[in-house]
Amino acid sequence: MLRNRRTELLTAFVLVAPFLAVYGWLFLYPTFQMIEMTFLKAPLIGEGKWAGFANYAKMFRDPVMRIAVLNTAYFVLLTVIPGTIVALSIALMVRRLKGFMQSLILAAFFLPYVLPVTVVYVLWDWMTNLQFGMLQGPIALIAGEPTNIWRTTGWFMPGAAILTIWWTNGFSILLFLAGLRNIPAELYEAAELDGATRWQMFTRVTFPLLWPVTVLCLTIQLILQLKIFDQVYLFAQGGQTRATMVMVQYIYEQAFQKNNGGYSATIALALFVIVLAFSLFQFQVLRVRSVK
Amino acid sequence: MRKLLGAAALGLVMVAGGAMAKETVVWWDFLGGGDGVRMKKLIEDFNAANKDTVEIQATTLDWGTPFYSKVQTSTAVGEGPDVMTYHASRLPLGVSQGSIAEITADDMAAMGLSADSFAPATWDAVQVDGKQYAVPFDTHPIVLYYNKDLLEKSGLIGADGLPTGLTGLDNFNAALAKLKADGNEWPIVQVTADGGFAFRTVYSLLCQQGGQIGNDGDWFPGDSVDKLGTAINVISTWVKEGWNPAKTDYPTTVALFTSGKAPFMINGVWEVPTMDDLNKQGKLFNWGAIEIPALFDKTCTYSDSHTFAIPANAGKEVSPEKHAAVLQVIKFMADNSLFWATAGHVPANKAVTETPEYKAMQPQATYQPLTANAVFDPKSVNAGVASPLFDTAGNAITPAMNGELDPMDAAKQIQEELNAM
Repeated sequence: MLRNRRTELLTAFVLVAPFLAVYGWLFLYPTFQMIEMTFLKAPLIGEGKWAGFANYAKMFRDPVMRIAVLNTAYFVLLTVIPGTIVALSIALMVRRLKGFMQSLILAAFFLPYVLPVTVVYVLWDWMTNLQFGMLQGPIALIAGEPTNIWRTTGWFMPGAAILTIWWTNGFSILLFLAGLRNIPAELYEAAELDGATRWQMFTRVTFPLLWPVTVLCLTIQLILQLKIFDQVYLFAQGGQTRATMVMVQYIYEQAFQKNNGGYSATIALALFVIVLAFSLFQFQVLRVRSVK
Repeated sequence: MRKLLGAAALGLVMVAGGAMAKETVVWWDFLGGGDGVRMKKLIEDFNAANKDTVEIQATTLDWGTPFYSKVQTSTAVGEGPDVMTYHASRLPLGVSQGSIAEITADDMAAMGLSADSFAPATWDAVQVDGKQYAVPFDTHPIVLYYNKDLLEKSGLIGADGLPTGLTGLDNFNAALAKLKADGNEWPIVQVTADGGFAFRTVYSLLCQQGGQIGNDGDWFPGDSVDKLGTAINVISTWVKEGWNPAKTDYPTTVALFTSGKAPFMINGVWEVPTMDDLNKQGKLFNWGAIEIPALFDKTCTYSDSHTFAIPANAGKEVSPEKHAAVLQVIKFMADNSLFWATAGHVPANKAVTETPEYKAMQPQATYQPLTANAVFDPKSVNAGVASPLFDTAGNAITPAMNGELDPMDAAKQIQEELNAM
């Protein structure tokens, strides 16, 4: 028996080995190298000098790092929960449609998700163009005058948040629709017989049963939006990049523009820790809520 | 069986022999748009002229940071190209990263070029720590584009057919006020949404006052920081007066000029082909381009230079034949840069700009003399296109141009940030 178990283990190991080797070589090894780099004063490529905790000390005093963290947090605040609410409302509305019409409307909401970020950038850049953009009408109504929202500090992050919700919402809508279809129709019939109002049906039936999907959406969104980079980088280039800096952008700037490999690895590690902490925290909080 | 093997071996030898006779030169550039099309033509010409001996295999990559990141990473593992285009302003950083090979005096002799072939400032721009690291191909300054029809209406065209009365800041501003009064929506356009781009104008105006950008440690020697503030203030004033549109990006700038809504535009010479093409289709007014007038004490224009550099591919030995082929490519481009001038750039090779063909080329021949008054980026690893200097300038100049930050404070902010680097 023992012998048998041992050969089984061996077989298992042989089968897993290729994965372990690739995982170790392409993921674990670079990760440890990156952590090592945070203790070095190193260029992006090439040998570094031992610097102890200098990079960490620098990071905690760096005003730009503070801006980057705050901006990232602000962006997450503007996108994660509002985006999920918008997706849920759209899903609830789309569910009421039938047949071809439903597919058509769903496709319309899903289409932006398919676009690459560069296309999204060009589209929105033209729509918001100060001289020729079609969105300048509504913008002028709110701001009082035509405004280049990508060059006005107060407008930048909300603008980026709105376009991000527009862009990435299709996926959350799909998840919600799938969740809605899994709720048995009998529950609604029973509720109706008991004289429940529309709102009560939503708060007592739909929302609780949809909670696992909501948790999933929130978690996916949170991790995605903490890593915000492309939109902000594209819209801010040439402008006040300092004022609109987000964390991944700062990693990029330090690594590729300023050739500070060690320092950029330190920021990357900080982002990793933040993402990990937030995901665990959110997962725990939301799970407790769902058990109750 | 043996016969078959023999035939196969013979075939192999023949293939190898053929490959040896013909050198391939792997080429990377960052030239998209109008100048990219012209460069492709030059490459095709080269390949046609050297059909049996050398072939260029060209790839065009993304301009700016992506290009230079790729060069740095690929040369570090010996996978870089054989020759590449490079901005002169980025050479100090490239050299410090060890990605560029030196160009020796022997190389220059082999190409029949020397210091005398180039304008002094252009030649100086490819020297780092006393060694030459690239061969200048062109100089590409910013210039003042003008709409001749609109200027004529406001009486700003002189007897020689060129704009007149623009020397000195007061005169220039008076001209802008006159154009505005004559019903032009925007008398002048330049990119105001991108302080990094506008830095080219600011640097020119700084130089016109005799101010300098120094180098790491002392970025603004003497009273240069005050002069920097004065230079930024020129554009802020234009925006404040409603002469230059605020927060306007690059494509909009060009569109405002070509649609006749702005009689003046400050932009790089690389927009010349845009005007040329529109003009040929009969869709453009009479236009021209001149050196930025002396708004202060003297004329001086910011310029950069496209050059050819040879990467220092780590651990890869370059055969003498390959090296000779690379030099042959660079030589060909330098000799045939007259065609490149149609892209607006001023050919670096003086032999080309002195030809009657170039002297007949308009508006190129009109602004070409400005290369004698050109100022290049300071030689620092932190300077050059898409560099920390441009970034820092962008962060301070963008709000300052648009009335959100005092120009003098912006100048001080640039100084502080650069000194902290």
